[in-house]
Amino acid sequence: MSLILLQILNGLQYGLLLFLAASGLTLVFGILGIINLAHGAFYMLGAYAALTLTARLGDIFLALAAGIPLAFAFGAAIEWLFIRHLYKRDHLQQVLLTFALILVFNEIQQTVWGNYPLSIPMPSYLSSSISLTADLGYPVYRLALMAICIVLALVMMFVIQNTRAGRLIRAAESNPEMVEALGFDSRILFRIVFATGAALAAAAGILAAPVESAYPGIGDRVLIISFVVVVIGGIGSIRGAFLGSLLIGLADAFGKVFVPKFSSVLIYALMALVLVLRPSGLFGRQ
Amino acid sequence: MLKAPSPRALVLLACLLALFVALPFFVGPYGLKFATRLIVISIFVVSLDFLLGLGGLVSFGHAAFFGVGAYAVYFISSDEGAANAFLALGAGVGLAAVCALAIGAFACLTRGFYFIMVTLAAGQMMFSLFHDTDIAKGSDGAYINIKPDVTIAGHTLLDFDDRRSFFYVCLFFLIVALLALFWLARTPFGRIVQGLKANDARLSALGYDVYRAKLAAFVVSGAVAGLAGALFACIDGFVTPDLFAWRQSGLAIMMVVLGGAGTLFGPILGALAYISLEEALKTASLVGDFVSAHWRLGTGLTLVIAVLLSPDGLAGFLRAAPRVSRRTRAAPSRPPAAARKASTLATRTLSKTFGGLRAVDDVTVSFAPDLVHAIIGPNGAGKTTFTNLLSGALKPSAGEVLVDGKNVAGMPAHTIARRGVGRSFQRTNIFGAFTVEENCRLAAQAAHPAILRFVDARRSEDDATIAYALDVVGLSDRADALAGAMSNGEQRQLEIAMLIASGGSILVLDEPLAGMGPEETRRVVDLLRDLRRNHTIVLIEHDMDAVFAVADTLTVLALGRLIAHGSPDEVRRNGEVISAYLGGHAPQEAGA
Amino acid sequence: MNELLEARGLNAYYGASHVLRGVDFRVGRGETVSLLGRNGMGKTTLLRTLMGLTPSKSGDIRLGGADIRGWRPSAIARAGVGFVPEGRGIFPNLTVEENLVFAAREGADGRRDWTREGIFALFPRLAERRTNWGNQLSGGEQQMLTIGRALMSNPALLMVDEATEGLAPLVRDDIWRTLKLIADKGVAIVVVDKNLDDLKALCRRHVILVKGEVVFEGSTEELAARDDFVRSQLGL
Repeated sequence: MSLILLQILNGLQYGLLLFLAASGLTLVFGILGIINLAHGAFYMLGAYAALTLTARLGDIFLALAAGIPLAFAFGAAIEWLFIRHLYKRDHLQQVLLTFALILVFNEIQQTVWGNYPLSIPMPSYLSSSISLTADLGYPVYRLALMAICIVLALVMMFVIQNTRAGRLIRAAESNPEMVEALGFDSRILFRIVFATGAALAAAAGILAAPVESAYPGIGDRVLIISFVVVVIGGIGSIRGAFLGSLLIGLADAFGKVFVPKFSSVLIYALMALVLVLRPSGLFGRQ
Repeated sequence: MLKAPSPRALVLLACLLALFVALPFFVGPYGLKFATRLIVISIFVVSLDFLLGLGGLVSFGHAAFFGVGAYAVYFISSDEGAANAFLALGAGVGLAAVCALAIGAFACLTRGFYFIMVTLAAGQMMFSLFHDTDIAKGSDGAYINIKPDVTIAGHTLLDFDDRRSFFYVCLFFLIVALLALFWLARTPFGRIVQGLKANDARLSALGYDVYRAKLAAFVVSGAVAGLAGALFACIDGFVTPDLFAWRQSGLAIMMVVLGGAGTLFGPILGALAYISLEEALKTASLVGDFVSAHWRLGTGLTLVIAVLLSPDGLAGFLRAAPRVSRRTRAAPSRPPAAARKASTLATRTLSKTFGGLRAVDDVTVSFAPDLVHAIIGPNGAGKTTFTNLLSGALKPSAGEVLVDGKNVAGMPAHTIARRGVGRSFQRTNIFGAFTVEENCRLAAQAAHPAILRFVDARRSEDDATIAYALDVVGLSDRADALAGAMSNGEQRQLEIAMLIASGGSILVLDEPLAGMGPEETRRVVDLLRDLRRNHTIVLIEHDMDAVFAVADTLTVLALGRLIAHGSPDEVRRNGEVISAYLGGHAPQEAGA
Repeated sequence: MNELLEARGLNAYYGASHVLRGVDFRVGRGETVSLLGRNGMGKTTLLRTLMGLTPSKSGDIRLGGADIRGWRPSAIARAGVGFVPEGRGIFPNLTVEENLVFAAREGADGRRDWTREGIFALFPRLAERRTNWGNQLSGGEQQMLTIGRALMSNPALLMVDEATEGLAPLVRDDIWRTLKLIADKGVAIVVVDKNLDDLKALCRRHVILVKGEVVFEGSTEELAARDDFVRSQLGL
């Protein structure tokens, strides 16, 4: 019984982190139409940056507060330098350019932090466990992490539903040309959306760092699972990304316990199943 | 469509070939191994180009088939003695083809972004399967201790362990694969594959099963990738799950695009350029310690710049200037004696709802053979939805579509097309990257729409059909023009020629005159009159002069409902009803 | 004359075809102009080119004296041009109210004539549906919403492309009545439509495009005087 509870918590925690990463990916694809393979690299850079920022600032949450605007600025710069040239090109060239960017980001990571897995200490005040049942303790940091993810998710949904920026984003998703014709410069909108995507991925990376440690291949794994989440949830749908993330998180957690050797295969099988039943994802528009 | 390489490209390829043939005589074992690897990767990327460059299907999991091919060699090898080389390579090809069939059966249901993601996930699934489980020693990888050879009656004729002969084996297979795929691209099958990239909706409307065409291209490409993988396993005698990793697929796409997608030979240049660049940047003696320590930055930035500056890849520099040939054809004296497929089209209580909106509402109408039937009505009356229901592009919510009395409602578009219903689209829908003749050839070929045809057995018949169709629409002297570069009016004429060439005997034309000048309009009106001899024509048109000049019956739709049907005179007399619906558009004004 | 918008010698291409061939087109302040022609003659392209959505190859476009050719559509919109495109272009995932609030801004000349409540007064149907999503509206309501949304930016010029297309006759009448009200408030209007009688009632000046060239320009009286020519050009 406690094993199931434990795996539910682990699954939710993984799923919530995944949601931060995947929501950025789905936003960027839904509005900009860009397949951003470098999205995972933002997550990876976030995890590594968490190390440096925590060392400088003394606390992972300060690192998060500083890392998000840094990642936003970095994302905006990348959009300005490279991505904006791709909006009118076909998917193939987007795939190619963002793939090349992964190589560049990996090099940055290797030069600055080296190629070894690095672990980041949890803040001491959250390093304890609390007991959920008689024989089950759960690390407080993981609970805090889930809480932060939920808060960020709620803030994001609030912004999208209730603010001027959110209305712009929703409008641009269905008809970017009309948004432009109503007097909004879509170049700036696109830059902000891309930067937001980068910031979300980096935030997930920073939060995950004390739990998973930082290693070079971490970005690839997150990228591919995020794509699976986006496909399951339906391209461009934040709600879909939320549901898809939790689904994948739970499937992964339980897969690791019950079919350890096939847990990854299980996730792809889940995606295949969803696509057979609903070819454009759970919340995708036809 | 795939062009033969330009003379410049041929010279370059010949030089490369000569270089490779001579290579074993003046490089050491390391250099030879490097060259072997380069050639094997070339086979891999050429196979991907067939799918991606010609078929337009961006597979991001192609490394799966490469990996499976490699593991097949491992499975077939034993530690007791060398496996038969033919068997080993055959196993690589076979296992990859089977995997491609299984993965493709699912992936080919999707398109665009979803296709990319599904193939990516499929590749990762294969990676996990070989990485996480104990198959072939799991994540550690496994050795092929004795490499395959060809031994007949105790004589070893060819040993893959011998670096030099193995190099020539690989070179041989690269040439064979390149020539075979070139040949394939020019067969009827290859034409269909290229049609997938150019315009799959049109392909379906011509009567081809797009799903099966995609799947066939996927399997062919996967099988060749399997061959490359099998050869790759024999270079080092080592297989590892990393062969499946998505970065391998990404690198392959990169080499294809870098070299020039859709040229088949270009990706070889891409592989050569990328692998040499990477190798050079890694070599400290060549570029210095600083650069070699940061080789990823160098390759990454070079690629970024390459994408931004040259969208056509390296092969773009070698493209031949477009040939301008003006072949004149003898006008065909008689139409080809194709069996007439169908003649009447009718609907019974046909309806289509979108959400709450009834776009087509309970329409029962019959179109008699060999007449021109015009459908008119204001914009938004449901005319285009109606034609989409007739052609199977949309499935009706209720009711029947009858071709010669048989209900075809709910059948896929290509099946209805095969029954003789050809349709044109409101927005001209042709294969823009093909010449006029190639467009018609793909249409003519649809008279026998099997996907897997490798011989143009009916070429002379098809030639006659094409010549007839082009003559009827007046495009005989434009046979070699690139369709995408023609004027709007000419493209519409071409579209009608394709319908004729494909053997459609019921033609459903959605606004064929839109955007045409008076001259072109007159020509098409004459054409429609002429076609009426042996075609049933259903026409949507706003140009009332043209409608009254050519139509034998008028059908008026408004708000999805049929409000009048009959001869133009009858409908005109019914004018009161119509003007209530159509306001100032009442057709009686147009007759004057 | 006090011109608001003035284009001279405008040339535009769509792929290989030359869609606008040296078009001259002007709209005075508060003037109502109709743009007529058969399908495919370049009317929509002309509006899109004026809006900056389709690039022009050569020519000159001035808005209140400023050279706006080559400006981004967003800049032209902020300079006082409202656009109601063919096919409406409402945002299906925004509510009626959000669609309106979204576009609200002060006019280029500082005017604030149009507010949310003003639009709801103009189109009472929209007020009833203010919390509905854009994709839950009927065709007529969508059209009203698009016009209302364009007005929210307090434009000096409103360009309306095929606003009555596919609508039931009664709804069309409603749209025409509203356009008249908007014109009476001093907003200049360019309308593309097929319905000659309604255009004659609304607009004071009329322009006919044939194959990308202006073949007629004149007042409603001049249009009536050349009825046969006009009908033949419009295919009526």
